[in-house]
Amino acid sequence: MATLKDRLDEFKRTFESGAPPYNAPREAIATMHRATDELKASGIENAVLKVGDRAPNFSLFNQDHAQVNSTDLLREGPLVVSFFRGHW
Amino acid sequence: MMELEALQEVNSEVRALGARILAISPQLEKYGRTVHRKLNLAFDIVTDLHLKVAEQFGLVFVLPDYLRDLYAAFGSRLDAFHDESEYRLPMSARYIIDSGSVIRAADVNADYTIRPEPSDTVKLLRELTDSATRSR
Repeated sequence: MATLKDRLDEFKRTFESGAPPYNAPREAIATMHRATDELKASGIENAVLKVGDRAPNFSLFNQDHAQVNSTDLLREGPLVVSFFRGHW
Repeated sequence: MMELEALQEVNSEVRALGARILAISPQLEKYGRTVHRKLNLAFDIVTDLHLKVAEQFGLVFVLPDYLRDLYAAFGSRLDAFHDESEYRLPMSARYIIDSGSVIRAADVNADYTIRPEPSDTVKLLRELTDSATRSR
């Protein structure tokens, strides 16, 4: 099975080639790179919660509009929490 | 999406270790529901409306104007998907939190195209549960 990195790299290669199905214009790709570079340079990564920090508790609705409480879940075992922005 | 799919592939291993995966996104519930059904996920996607939780993890940034314009030209409207008029987003991140609420792994990258391998997460979870068993 391909690693996640292989799959992401493959997608990136296709997208950044400007070929179908995405047909991404060169300027658009440059703009996206600029944004990522600027975000990285801002130092934001240094201010996030890190290993050894205490995770905040939260209570949020899931896809079926049921309340999910982190304290309840942690009582059963460790949690792998994946933050994603939407499509990506 | 690719990351959620890859996490789904290790979900049974994660569950066998007594742990659980939870995906958090600022997108509105209906979009979370669409993704959840499409990928047939066995773990929950929860909606972090207005990035309240992502903020506490220090993950939130404001999309620059020029990128906002570019996304709009592609037809992607964050204000509609996320009810997020300020165009904020979370950095992509994966955390392992132990049952005492302590963070045991933190993978955060400002470059959203870089993600940790799910197999490495499983490895770390295994180490975590092994050491918990030993200390018992």
